[in-house]
Amino acid sequence: MSDDFRNSSLNELDALVIGGGIAGLESALNLAHMGFHVMIVEKDLSIGGRMIHLSKVFPTLDCSACITTPKVSETARHPNIEILNHSEVKHISRDENGSYRAVIEQRPRYVIDSLCTGCQDCEEACPVVVKDEYQYNLVGRKAAYIPFSIASPRIAAIDLDNCILCGACEKACGPGAIDFTQETRITEITVNSIIVATGFKLFDPDRITRYGGGKLKNVVTAMQMERQLVPTRPFNTVLRPGDGKVPDKIAYVLCAGSRDATVGNPICSQICCMYSIKQAQLILGAVPMADVTIYFLHVRAFGKGFDEFYQQAKMMDVQFIKGKIGRIKELENGDLMLRYEDIASGQVKETQHDMVVLSVGILPNMGIEKLFGDEKFKLDPFNFYNQPNEMTDPFKSNLPGVFIAGTSTGPMDIPDSILSAGAAAAQAAKYMKQHQASISHQATTPL
Amino acid sequence: MIKEPNFTGKRIGVYICQCGSNISDYVDVEKVREEISRGKGVSLAKITMFACADSAQKEIVADIQNEPLDAIVVASCSPKLHLNTFRGVAERGGLNPYNYVQVNIREQDSWAHSDKPAQATLKAIHLIRAGIAKVSLSEPLTPMTIPAENSVAIVGAGVAGMRAAIELADLGVNVHLIEREHFVGGRVAQWGKMSMTNQTGEEIITELYHEVKKRESIRVYTGANIIASKGSIGNFNIQVKIQPRYVEPPCDPESFKKAIEACPVEVDDEFNFNLTKRKAIFFNYRSEFPAMPVVDMAACTRCEECLKYCHGIRLDQQYRIIEIHVGSIFLATGFNPYEPKKGEFGYQEHPNVITFQQLKRLLDLTKGEFRFRGKKIERVAFIYCVGSRQIDGENKYCARYCCTSAIHAAIQLRQELKVPFIYHINKGIRTYGKQEILYEQSSTSGDVYLQFVEDDPPVVEVLNNPIKVTVNDLLTAHMEVTVTTDLVVLITGMVPRVNTELISILKVPLGKDHFYNEIHPKLRPVETMIDGLVIAGCCQGPRNIAESASSALAAVSKVYSILNKGEIKLEPTLAIVNPAACEWCGKCLEACPFDAIERIETEKVPVARIIESNCKGCGMCTPVCPTEAIDIKGYTNPEVRSMIEAMSG
Amino acid sequence: MEKDPPKILVFSTEKISDPALDLAGLMKLHYPPTVHAVVVPCSSSVRPSWIMHAFECGFAGVFIAADGSDCPYGETCIEKTAKIVERTHVMMREKGIPTENLKMAAVCSVCAELFVNQMRLFAGELADKTTNAT
Repeated sequence: MSDDFRNSSLNELDALVIGGGIAGLESALNLAHMGFHVMIVEKDLSIGGRMIHLSKVFPTLDCSACITTPKVSETARHPNIEILNHSEVKHISRDENGSYRAVIEQRPRYVIDSLCTGCQDCEEACPVVVKDEYQYNLVGRKAAYIPFSIASPRIAAIDLDNCILCGACEKACGPGAIDFTQETRITEITVNSIIVATGFKLFDPDRITRYGGGKLKNVVTAMQMERQLVPTRPFNTVLRPGDGKVPDKIAYVLCAGSRDATVGNPICSQICCMYSIKQAQLILGAVPMADVTIYFLHVRAFGKGFDEFYQQAKMMDVQFIKGKIGRIKELENGDLMLRYEDIASGQVKETQHDMVVLSVGILPNMGIEKLFGDEKFKLDPFNFYNQPNEMTDPFKSNLPGVFIAGTSTGPMDIPDSILSAGAAAAQAAKYMKQHQASISHQATTPL
Repeated sequence: MIKEPNFTGKRIGVYICQCGSNISDYVDVEKVREEISRGKGVSLAKITMFACADSAQKEIVADIQNEPLDAIVVASCSPKLHLNTFRGVAERGGLNPYNYVQVNIREQDSWAHSDKPAQATLKAIHLIRAGIAKVSLSEPLTPMTIPAENSVAIVGAGVAGMRAAIELADLGVNVHLIEREHFVGGRVAQWGKMSMTNQTGEEIITELYHEVKKRESIRVYTGANIIASKGSIGNFNIQVKIQPRYVEPPCDPESFKKAIEACPVEVDDEFNFNLTKRKAIFFNYRSEFPAMPVVDMAACTRCEECLKYCHGIRLDQQYRIIEIHVGSIFLATGFNPYEPKKGEFGYQEHPNVITFQQLKRLLDLTKGEFRFRGKKIERVAFIYCVGSRQIDGENKYCARYCCTSAIHAAIQLRQELKVPFIYHINKGIRTYGKQEILYEQSSTSGDVYLQFVEDDPPVVEVLNNPIKVTVNDLLTAHMEVTVTTDLVVLITGMVPRVNTELISILKVPLGKDHFYNEIHPKLRPVETMIDGLVIAGCCQGPRNIAESASSALAAVSKVYSILNKGEIKLEPTLAIVNPAACEWCGKCLEACPFDAIERIETEKVPVARIIESNCKGCGMCTPVCPTEAIDIKGYTNPEVRSMIEAMSG
Repeated sequence: MEKDPPKILVFSTEKISDPALDLAGLMKLHYPPTVHAVVVPCSSSVRPSWIMHAFECGFAGVFIAADGSDCPYGETCIEKTAKIVERTHVMMREKGIPTENLKMAAVCSVCAELFVNQMRLFAGELADKTTNAT
């Protein structure tokens, strides 16, 4: 962040990027490299989105943190980029010049960012333990906490919902960074273009009763498994949550909440096949004696290097069984009985596994459409943000100067999200150039 | 052992990255730290969880300023990932970025030797010592800046190339759009109705071409090929050979039409994948661009019949060669459809076995009833993955677009042309994302899906009419199903276009699949190993149209980021001559492939001099020098020798 | 106790062969940990004196992971690298070092397996030689 931003009340920028995940970061970086001034508004305590929490990514198997962190830190220190964390855009309106005015609400973190050194003394002192959402509830965290080890900014926050106001953190904090008097701050900015990169929601498998409705102890979601496989993993091995046993017969259930009209999501989530195949390969690295079986309908290994990656998993002895899982039943020892139609034999079969991973799909993350007041920001039939001219102007929305990137347009893998972000940035750059030419009196805005 | 006394005494900071546990699972980082911290010149040695994380970067910057440090070594992953990250850290700390050395203890140590942790630890120590040896001798280097030409050469005027041209022109970049064919539009022009939006390829191309023509800063060359390229990022000098069209304006469309009618020559029409014939003077379709026919000189008999109707025809036109100067080259050269081998699923053994591309042309040309070779077609069988996902063949990859596109064509066959029986003989349908809806629509409207497994492909019997296709169907517990059909459509995927000459002129890097290869699919997805050369669309790998447009626009961002500053920083790791040692023998001049060495006279003594703007830093001049008077900065004789010594440990 | 495999110095190239070494690690392909790589811009920039220096410092073998026809600096690389090997062979003979202790092969940017196989073979050959000699 440059001092310009920090010290002045400068509120005219070129572009607003909503969402600090990989698509938002990539859009902002591209615009910044092209010379535009950008603000990123991220609702979480750290930028990096979903990707920063992943283990290794398909099909190259490079470590996700190793790709995300350089982009995160480049964004965080780029002189053309300002980041508002823990913030949400509340309202957007258009002025007579066609520029957008955005009202942003920044929630307090009750920690003075310039004073916090990230030493974690507050975390140690805090007596409250709650589920750690960044570890997908696999482990606990404190109410005074640093979100995760590679967070940016890597500074503490107080979770006031769970805080008991005991003051232990305040006493522990050497530099005196804890400040319970912080209040919500409202920032207003004017921009010429907006890129919406708000990502996706994960399907909540508790909605599927035939898979236990969230009650079976050794049934986890793929994101929970992912956290067990990252370099900063909580357990240093793979454990099933029911009893902490190292599993040796793991099943993946694909299309859990995708391609399923009964749960209201008829489309394919596009990434689950590949991330499951990837996790299977990583599990065989972490627990070499384990058997991994993937129950699938179709294996959607369509991207560059994907099918080769799928073939590689088969060579590593990952089992692939074509069949939809009808029901998962818990046995006394915590193992799980999977009932399915084995398409290859035409028979209904039952197989026992000691851990089941639901390869949950992705859902639209709506909300932005409500911000524009009277102007209608359109959704597509699946509630992703609409792209009126998908073929030739792919990431343009129905509103002038507003673009969409990444999974906010629909299911997408990381390489495609990154390309979409680059594309949205190019489109926004062109729009801003033309827009500025049309209102030449705004000569103060740098280009 | 280090012999340069001038450079010892540097205060060096060493950071050993655990990379989560990627390194520390196999390398005993604490032992490495202990060993390294004892080394001469090492003023601090630290272990970090993720050296690349923002907090670690800040810590290094603070150390540089507080210690203070003169140089840093980071032992982590491959420099291909983070060299620039840490050069930036060095710079922010106030060091010259070349007083930083990255040591690769992940890819070339912990991962490669995960079977032998003790030896991996020892190797890490040797590698880091070599890094320290190098950095103690390193000199501060300053990158040279060169002016960048604000123009781009886009090769390929298909949907990706034209889309990029429009955007770059609007961003203020001059565009040279170079198309090998005589008409723009690429493969999309041939594609008829598109899945998902039902626009036709013709409509899309027409819209894009009109936008291209509106912009004065875009120059379109058709029938044009790059025949030579010199220079590098910011300044490429390209020679373009433009084939004659043998037709010039002015001549009105009516006269063209009559001229084409008059032509007595008929040849296979490649635009329609040889389903129809065309004349030696031709258009591919009515609204094609540029709106001027072309004479196919290989087929023309020079009967001059056409000349009677149109005065714009110039059969004696010659090719011309133009030179253009650009700052960046943008490749959007597209794909070829896979051409099945004779006998592959009955191809070329029965005329009613056709490719998917031929079907798409048929659909585009068909009005009313669906007929092929005079007969009404009521049964169509699609065989998927022809030339894709080959287990034994060369094309291991999935061609991505075909499942959706084929199903979309099937829906068109059923809804518009009322074909009642459609069989999809597939290897697993891959209608990813929202495209799933089409699959759902097709399977609930009566299409039959049969699935085969890799090692048991369907058998097409072509000896008798009608054709029979037998499948061992996975979906019905491996029942043998025989389908009788009027038409077999081979769903042929994508293969790279044949561009041998272009690839060799521009040195385009290719992947295992023979498509153009990016540096990294996530970090640098549109850039190639050749600086300033970007790739987009299907030349990089199979994609649908929306995805091609997306990649084209992403590449626009990259090109504009390169060109908009008007100048480019070059790597300073170039050759340098020690004039005192040089005895001018001319061997370096002979060895240099880039004309970067000249003979000059200093005080009447001839010595070699480096022309820095031409030098690429390849170092071919260094081993040939008999007096070791020439070095590459960053890879100097003392640096490499001291690294060898440190590694020998 | 198992004897350490012989030490091998590899000259890899920044743009072409070093990525293959990285890929070998990425794919967790194993080769002897006594293999150490020095990165140079191009295989035709390796000085014979560096190779000789490696032998003097105790490396049993030197391997040039050459750019081959993939060299970004042009096709003359192949011929020039071959010349370097030829010149070094002369120097090695003078010092009584068997010429087989210097090897060269083109290693493309994705030739991870090839590289690993070369290293295993080379280390095996060098180890046999030392065993036979003693």
